[in-house]
Amino acid sequence: MKSMTSLTILAGLLLVFTFVWERVDVVRVGYQVERLKVQKTALERERDELQVKFSKLTSPERIARVATDKLGLVPPQPGQVVVVHPGPERPGTAEPAAGEVRLAKNYLAGRAK
Amino acid sequence: MAAAPHRGRRYVALCLLLAGFGLILFRLVNLQVLQAAELAVKADRQHQKTVALEGARGAITDRHGKVLAINMEVPSVFGVPTALDSPSAVAQHLSPVLHVRASKLEKKLRQDRSFVWLARKLDPEQGRRLEALSVEGIGVVMEGRRFYPKGPLLSHVLGFAGMDSQGLEGVERRYDSDLHGEKRIMVLQRDALGRTVFPKGLAEENPAPGHNLTLTVDEVIQYIAEKELEEEVNRRHAKGGTLIVMDPRTGGILAMAVSPRFDPNAVGALSPDRWRNRALTDAYEPGSTMKAVLAAAALEEKVMVPGTMVFGEHGAMPVAGTVIHDHDRMGWVSFAEVIQKSSNIGAAKAGMALGDHRLYRYLQAFGFGQPTEIDLPGEATGLLKSPKDWGRRSLASISIGQEIGVTAIQMVTAIAAIANSGVLMKPYVVSEIRDAKGQTLKRILPHVRRRVISPETARTLTTILEGVVTNGTGGKAAIPGFRVAGKTGTAQKIDPRTGAYSSTQFVGSFVGYVPAEDPRLAMIVVIDEPHGEAWGGVVAAPVFRRVGEQALNYLGVSSFEPVKIAMAAGTRSGRTER
Repeated sequence: MKSMTSLTILAGLLLVFTFVWERVDVVRVGYQVERLKVQKTALERERDELQVKFSKLTSPERIARVATDKLGLVPPQPGQVVVVHPGPERPGTAEPAAGEVRLAKNYLAGRAK
Repeated sequence: MAAAPHRGRRYVALCLLLAGFGLILFRLVNLQVLQAAELAVKADRQHQKTVALEGARGAITDRHGKVLAINMEVPSVFGVPTALDSPSAVAQHLSPVLHVRASKLEKKLRQDRSFVWLARKLDPEQGRRLEALSVEGIGVVMEGRRFYPKGPLLSHVLGFAGMDSQGLEGVERRYDSDLHGEKRIMVLQRDALGRTVFPKGLAEENPAPGHNLTLTVDEVIQYIAEKELEEEVNRRHAKGGTLIVMDPRTGGILAMAVSPRFDPNAVGALSPDRWRNRALTDAYEPGSTMKAVLAAAALEEKVMVPGTMVFGEHGAMPVAGTVIHDHDRMGWVSFAEVIQKSSNIGAAKAGMALGDHRLYRYLQAFGFGQPTEIDLPGEATGLLKSPKDWGRRSLASISIGQEIGVTAIQMVTAIAAIANSGVLMKPYVVSEIRDAKGQTLKRILPHVRRRVISPETARTLTTILEGVVTNGTGGKAAIPGFRVAGKTGTAQKIDPRTGAYSSTQFVGSFVGYVPAEDPRLAMIVVIDEPHGEAWGGVVAAPVFRRVGEQALNYLGVSSFEPVKIAMAAGTRSGRTER
């Protein structure tokens, strides 16, 4: 009878502890989730900042300015850019897949020599 | 005898104990029953924090996914004046970081309020510096701010969003309902230290961000268009300019440039006049570019063929008590030459041969006097009077592009119909709407409005319009290696003081398409009030050539001249070369 009572008390205590532990753990996980959310927000902010920076750096206006001012490049003159749509490799063979090759004319002229 | 005082003490102790328990019980009933509802609300107020959250505004990209507008979380700074000991010291401290005068900040911080905005939507770097300062009574919250990373590029089309992320102009306004994020009130649980434990229910998600838009615009062609237009406007000391590049096969806008430009990142100090998209909102008299539409009607109705001979009246023809002049004194010329040499008299005669109702019908069919229904706000209808309101000279005037008001978008849409074998397309700038995960929600497909002329008429007219560039007034629009079809236009503006045509203010324009045999680009260039020479063939045609040449090159469109190129691996023939 005595051992039965002890067992019941023990089971009751175990239940109480489990309940308390579960509540504490829920709160702990809650804090963890919140920390991760803050981290996620910070990373998203950083991603957006980098995307804005990337967009600014790849702006055609900036690229043109760097190309001319820093690298001394000039826009191609009329006739300097050639768009080639390749024909068949040899007479009688099938037409190659649609595509095109863009070559600077000077390079093309060099290859043709 | 001795037990009586003890018993008395016991009774006193018992009474005190009962009174104590009674008090506790009373308090318990008071708290748990009588004040229960009120206290529960109070406790919730302490444990819960209600915040209004808004999902990020969607991004806008060009046809290749290049970001043109994006939202970013940036810091906004507020002060709690009632919590400050020395507002002047705090103002001095914050002034260099916020770039706001200390006196102005101090004035705000001395207000008898518990919350005051000091600066909103700052740069992230300023936020970091503020956090490092850690000033008592000053707080930072994050808010979404719209960024236009390319600066003024495409600004008149993109428009801009306001301080509270609402679209105010351009695509931002037209597609505001798609772009803005979901607004939601969220309840967060706080602990005794004020830390957020987690939102009520872990499954609660943040408000959904807005949808992303993909434009038909190509940022490289847009850059080329803006650069060349701006240079020409500056070179000619013109009041402004407009340039539109359209894919005639679809009606998709590849570029839409307006000069002068503005930076949508800093619109505060600018007047609305600066950000108005004049390609849509401003109607002008098109002048001789209208002859391309007149020719389409005359050819389709077979009142003219390219070889029909028209007498040029040696440069002057009386009409309804006025005189129509030509800049060259012409005798007998073919109808093709009338268009190519831009003869006003020849065009007026073609218009008369058509008659007012037929001409009006074609003008309507080409989309004049009505919005093109492009997906941008503020489009004007232009001015096209009904024939019953025409005067005795109206038929001749409209035939040469007077007494009619058109917008640049109407004119380029009309010329694109000729380029597109006579089929009028609806112009559009947004091609796709996607959700934040990249799933396509809506794809906007090219929309055919109607057929306005037959493919045969379009082909015949294209040959005539090619002659404008090879033998006529549009020689400066010629692009080496490509067949260009187009029409020049020079129109006098109405002087608002006199109500008559000005002798000093002109609009020079060129409208055309290239390659003429398989058009990829339809384009209009309008230069408003250039100084010096104002002919469309002088001020607008060269811009058409420069933009067309670079855009075709960029798109990889090959020219008509066939060449044979010897390759290292053998010999190949290519249809190419310039």
